[in-house]
Amino acid sequence: MALAACSGSQPTGDASKILRDAASAMAQLQTVTATLKVTKGAISIQGFTLVSARTSVRMPTDSDTVYTVKQKDVSFALEIVMVGGHVYEHIPFLPMREVTGAEAAAFPNMAKLFDPTTGFPAIIPAGTEKKYVAAEQLDGKPVDHVSTLYTPDQVRSLLAELNSSGPVAADIWARSSDHLIPKAVLDGDFGDGGTEAAVEVDISSFNATVNITSPSPSL
Amino acid sequence: MTSRRLVLGLAGAGLFAAALDAYVVVTLLPAMTGDVGVTIENFEQATPIVTGFLAGYVVAMPLLGAYSDARGRIPVFVACLAAFALGSVITATSGLWTFAGLPWMVAGRFVQGIGGGGLVPLALALAADLYRGRSRTIALGSVAGLQEAGSVLGPIYGATVSAAAAGAGGWRFVFWLNVPLAAACALGLLATARRVEGAAGVAASTIDWAGALLLGAGLGALVFALYPDDPEHRALNALFIPAGLIAVVLLAAYGWRQVRQLEPLIPRELLRSRAFIGVTAANVLIGAALIVTLVDVPILGRLVFNLEALDSGLLLTQFLVGVPFGAVAGGFLAARLGNRVTGAAGVVVSAIAFGQMSTWSANELSLHLGPIRQADVALALCGLGFGLVIAPLTAGVLALTRGESHGLATSLVVLARTMGMLVGLSALTAFGLYRFHQILGTPVVSDPDLRDRVKHLEQLIGAAFLQEYREIFLIAAGLCLVAAAIIAFALRPARTNGGT
Repeated sequence: MALAACSGSQPTGDASKILRDAASAMAQLQTVTATLKVTKGAISIQGFTLVSARTSVRMPTDSDTVYTVKQKDVSFALEIVMVGGHVYEHIPFLPMREVTGAEAAAFPNMAKLFDPTTGFPAIIPAGTEKKYVAAEQLDGKPVDHVSTLYTPDQVRSLLAELNSSGPVAADIWARSSDHLIPKAVLDGDFGDGGTEAAVEVDISSFNATVNITSPSPSL
Repeated sequence: MTSRRLVLGLAGAGLFAAALDAYVVVTLLPAMTGDVGVTIENFEQATPIVTGFLAGYVVAMPLLGAYSDARGRIPVFVACLAAFALGSVITATSGLWTFAGLPWMVAGRFVQGIGGGGLVPLALALAADLYRGRSRTIALGSVAGLQEAGSVLGPIYGATVSAAAAGAGGWRFVFWLNVPLAAACALGLLATARRVEGAAGVAASTIDWAGALLLGAGLGALVFALYPDDPEHRALNALFIPAGLIAVVLLAAYGWRQVRQLEPLIPRELLRSRAFIGVTAANVLIGAALIVTLVDVPILGRLVFNLEALDSGLLLTQFLVGVPFGAVAGGFLAARLGNRVTGAAGVVVSAIAFGQMSTWSANELSLHLGPIRQADVALALCGLGFGLVIAPLTAGVLALTRGESHGLATSLVVLARTMGMLVGLSALTAFGLYRFHQILGTPVVSDPDLRDRVKHLEQLIGAAFLQEYREIFLIAAGLCLVAAAIIAFALRPARTNGGT
């Protein structure tokens, strides 16, 4: 993703307002696609080391998420589809199957990340030490770069896997035009065992068509 | 140290670094592919990481040997080192940015291969330029030895450096390290070569750029035709027929051009020789069988025997240590028994070893012959056989050429083998992945816990991989036997075929 700071721009924006506007804009989303990449440290999901995750979300509950995880050095893709209240799991080489109960509940519902009352939109403006960093360009579009701090509880409420032992620093880029957030970077002690880790989240396809379908009954 | 020795030493060091990188990836593949988003279910996509390097090698080797005849050894050698370093940087940065995915990595390996491939004939030609008589033989032998030693140490070097530099980039560090190595060799050569008579090596010659382009494009089309784009449903590429036809047309045009040209890339007297055709064909088959071991054994070690990267490299080392021992023994035996007997016997030894490997089981590493693991004996024998054949086949080709063409002739021997590796790896990967999916079928795994399901699946995948590799080892045995028959038919029974 191309990112460039505008030369000569001064950090004069109102960080609190930018984050509030961004939260309002994100709360309006009906569909979205997000990619999360672990850029520092190790984060485990279901006992596997997470490399990245790509999710397509249709509010309020449906999501199709492909977790790329590592077992030793070998990477494999684990797909979790949540649609119509059912949870399906696809392990490579195996047919897709429905999982239920505690097993189904163990996977985070990515749609909840964008829930207006409990997800990003609720958490985004609630940070402390908000600072306006710079006016920048992201993928050729003007964005406002803001930094802030979130508490461990705030981060954990988003994703239980991000179990931080301390405050989490966030860098957030909000588009100047529609206030949507195309990129965020979280850095803190939320890795396995409270170790330092960082994730980069790229968000795209705002309100674009997403295809999340229930697997065929024969599977 | 004399300036001549220094020049050759620096050239040899550059060649050694490139030779290390030819097979350095085989123990690093899982980590490298993971970092560019290739997962186990799409493992066929990793093939071009190996074939990309070999393709660059094949294209550069004949072209740059002849090019240095016209433009001087040192400038071309330094340019090759620069290409090798550039390719290393591209490879090392793969996966660091969104745009630098698998194609970026393959491009890096291809550029590395072009640089590394060019160094082989250049180092040999440089040795021939700098020395005369018996000293030349020793110099050529030293250069060839460095090339083989680099191959021997490559996998274990990669695994060791990667493990040691786990906190400094892991596998990436292996490629970053090439930059100062190449720079030191290049600067040293530029500083010392001017003082050395013969290092320039300039002779009037024209370069067949069109021929090289036809060869490169033809091989590229062939590799593409053999690329398994959907191994679950078919062994070959959906575009196998058109791409294969394009490959045939381009390679035929290359052959036609070689025959018609006044000054072809490959001297005409070589093209007409039964021994040359036989040795080339045998080398292609040997290359195909050789790559089976180099690539498949470490992967087998990781996926079936559950070894760490370093241990899978060590497993392959048994094979790679056998190669130089065989090479020395091959030179000795060829002088006494002749090239034909020694060469044919060498590949038969490898065929027998492959035959044994085709019966391997999942607990193979626990089976011993006395104090030594059975698998190690088979691998060492396999390497010994491949080593035995090096000297007889090289001598067989050298005997057909004049002194000024020895650099090109020796590079043709390596070229044919590398071409066999390229096509062999592509074809056997396509076959192997197709068979893997056939053998695995649609497994039923119903363990209640996700981790147990994945573990169970790993066992099924391991069993399918094992069966797939058994079949590939059997094919490799067959390739070796055909190569033995060709050698027996093509080479004369005289003691040394004219000597070198």
